[in-house]
Amino acid sequence: MDYVRSPDAAVTTRRPPVPVKIIVAGGFGVGKTTTVRSISEIAPLTTEAEMTEVSVGVDRTRSESLKTTTTVAMDFGCVTIDHSLKLYLFGTPGQDRFGFMWDDLINGALGALVVVDCSRLDDCFQAVDYFERAGLPFAVALNTFDGRLPYDITEVRWALAVNDRVPVVAFDARTRTSVRDALLVVLEKALDQVLHPAAPR
Amino acid sequence: MSEPIGRIPPYLRTPPAGAAPAPPPPPIHHDAGHAGGDQVRQRPFVLTSGRVNAVDREIEFETQVTLRPYDPRTGRVPLASLGPEMQAMVALCQEPTSVAEISARLRLHLGVTKILVADLRAAGYLDVHVADTMSPHSPELILRVMRGLRAIS
Repeated sequence: MDYVRSPDAAVTTRRPPVPVKIIVAGGFGVGKTTTVRSISEIAPLTTEAEMTEVSVGVDRTRSESLKTTTTVAMDFGCVTIDHSLKLYLFGTPGQDRFGFMWDDLINGALGALVVVDCSRLDDCFQAVDYFERAGLPFAVALNTFDGRLPYDITEVRWALAVNDRVPVVAFDARTRTSVRDALLVVLEKALDQVLHPAAPR
Repeated sequence: MSEPIGRIPPYLRTPPAGAAPAPPPPPIHHDAGHAGGDQVRQRPFVLTSGRVNAVDREIEFETQVTLRPYDPRTGRVPLASLGPEMQAMVALCQEPTSVAEISARLRLHLGVTKILVADLRAAGYLDVHVADTMSPHSPELILRVMRGLRAIS
């Protein structure tokens, strides 16, 4: 089949890269955008999207939870992996009091990095819960804001009540190589989950 | 009630011969993100004539969008007859661009962006690469991403 090109078609249609994505989640102000900025090859961009909120921690006698839809701002960036593969990093907005359901976003994701501020551990419970239930591979990354961790990783793991199979690491969101290593932990977990699907989570 | 994929909205259909020419379009802002600070902000879904659900649910945040070469056999409405947001989208997609990036750069709600991108595909201006995804459960894919990340220093 041959195409007759008009002058209008002078544009070179370059084959687009195949996109893959990793979610960067966590409570408000834990360093999600810093994480994305450190490794992204473009300055983080912000898009507004719909998110389904599930109210939790509120007395509800009925079994169903209250769901509302809200528009939230989401930061993202990208890393070119090779000529045909591009990694996108999406920072999900921090919600303290609400659980979130963002099935649209995690659909097709390789995994998630849950960024945690050790002084506000409970901010990340919703994200950990959500990814656990969704079966998405994830790792917990403790952001060492001033270069040191106030607690032992074992203590934090205990406080978070995550099982032994969930990687918990310390990292510095401001440092590119540190963010790179944290993402590699997520991918190792993803690989493990793919290669050993029968293992209990 | 679902709309069939590929439906061309009325305002994008090729006008009948002899129809009145479209009014001159406002200038295109190639970087609309930094322009129009003095513009009145519309409610986001005004741009989609009130439609709130993308016809194609496969369009994701990271889905790549490219310009479709003009095919004289099918024809299409003149670029100038499209809304300024759509013209800006066409300009932006000279290079492969993700839906999220279009949304961010044109400061359009993501849901609005998905709908307008689908409209522009139906109108013959854009290719939306929904099929070009890889299973996140492929070990080869994960290893490739790991190799790419390790190269970062």
